[in-house]
Amino acid sequence: MDRYALILDSVSVRYGEKEAIANVSMKLEKGKLHVLMGPNGGGKTTLIRAIAGLVPFKGKIKIYGIESHEYLKRHSIGYLAQRGETVYDFPMTAIEVVEMGRYGTKESRKLRREKAMKFLEEVNMETYAHVPIGELSGGQQQRVLLARALATESKLMLLDEPLTGMDSRAQSRFYRMLNSLRARHALTILIASHDMGFTTAYAENIMCINKTMVSRECIAKLLAEPEIKELYGPNIHLVKHYHLPQEEDNDV
Amino acid sequence: MMFEFLNYSFMERAIVAGTLVAIITGIVGPFLVFRKMSFMGAGLSHGALAGIALGIILGLSPTLMSVLIVMGLGFLIGLVSRTGKISEDSAIGTVYTFFMALGIFLINLSKGYHINIMGYLFGDILAISKYDILFALIVLIVVLVWLILRGRAMLYLTFDEDFAKITGVPIGWDYYIFMVITSLSIITVVKLVGVVLAGSILIVPSASAKMLSKSFMKIIAISVISGIISIFSGIAFSYYLNTSSGPSIVFFVTAFFLCVLLWQFGSNTTSRKVKIKSPSSRP
Repeated sequence: MDRYALILDSVSVRYGEKEAIANVSMKLEKGKLHVLMGPNGGGKTTLIRAIAGLVPFKGKIKIYGIESHEYLKRHSIGYLAQRGETVYDFPMTAIEVVEMGRYGTKESRKLRREKAMKFLEEVNMETYAHVPIGELSGGQQQRVLLARALATESKLMLLDEPLTGMDSRAQSRFYRMLNSLRARHALTILIASHDMGFTTAYAENIMCINKTMVSRECIAKLLAEPEIKELYGPNIHLVKHYHLPQEEDNDV
Repeated sequence: MMFEFLNYSFMERAIVAGTLVAIITGIVGPFLVFRKMSFMGAGLSHGALAGIALGIILGLSPTLMSVLIVMGLGFLIGLVSRTGKISEDSAIGTVYTFFMALGIFLINLSKGYHINIMGYLFGDILAISKYDILFALIVLIVVLVWLILRGRAMLYLTFDEDFAKITGVPIGWDYYIFMVITSLSIITVVKLVGVVLAGSILIVPSASAKMLSKSFMKIIAISVISGIISIFSGIAFSYYLNTSSGPSIVFFVTAFFLCVLLWQFGSNTTSRKVKIKSPSSRP
């Protein structure tokens, strides 16, 4: 059986005359938490959107061994967009937002609602099920959107800058939740992030992108300073932390 | 007698047509408001003038011609904005002024015809016929069928287009179907309040309802009810004070909006004061 959930071969995306990413190739092993790091404007979001079928690309993308456009015709994938891309002043409750992930399943309304509640429970948001999405805090909204991504029941999750707007405690909690969900559902998770803190601590595989792939399949602790300097410029120094914060789960 | 104006058959027709229009716009309006396409209503309604003029000159049904022109206009705006060349509001701003100018130009050319331009611009309830009511009824049935079959998909598309696409919502089709629904709705409104004021009836009741509820279905319900009350009040007002019906309806629609706005402002100020005085907020 194929060990890779996602294979990219020479993927390029152009926006008119502007080249967003060029010749990006990578392989993501199944069941792991992968992180795509890079500076703002480095092409992380573009790459995530290309995998999700939201922007046209050149090259090949295979999801679970199938060409991505064929795969996406038949299956959904879990997707969490950057904060700010979703309308928060919108008259939908948390559970209605999660139900979006069940679109096209032909389930009865009752079953759809039961399943949506189950996914809210997975992210500890069941008590907020009937609260309008706009009345939740930033971290709570992210958890609801994560539940919506889980509700697609896809084994592949694409999360674009999921930590934006969260404090360090909430970030740590979010990553621990992701790790536990990954283990429970055998998920393959790809996170786009420019965060150098918790991301490096929790990721099993870090890839660095700045228009093209700088390095691939590098382990967090082995991430070399020259690569960081290539990504973020010469005035940056790497500080490594060896202790992960251990906190109790509270509301984000 | 307070409702003596209802004894006149033309007033009866206006009330029936107004009720149908309020239901149609109460359903379609919230989608336009939440999709930030409010300008679309005003833009497309101005395009109707070209259709009306063309219909009269060619000896065809002005309603049919305006349906075709407005739908074509909606499709054109959608195509231009979705291909990403220019933004939706720029596309509307460019196209609708041209169609408005074209309408006036055609009316100027049609010197041999009797055209009540003020009626088309600001509405004329005397001109509402049984066929207009039938047309509005057909549009309402189309809108209700669309709401039942595609309402959920449209809601998802409005909330988060990218995620809707990923989960299999045919966003291109749904967008263009919505443009057709919007175009048909606009033609029904144009009959009641005219080309210039149609955007108000389509958008303002929904904008008021948006401030009053955080449930989409309730927003539709409030929008429909406030639309019916405003249209009924506007028609009665125009009868007793002998004013134009279109502007009178818009006056009530806007008055309701301002009342909601003031109430919101008042309740926000009160809740802020309560928050400041509450013990938990003290140091």
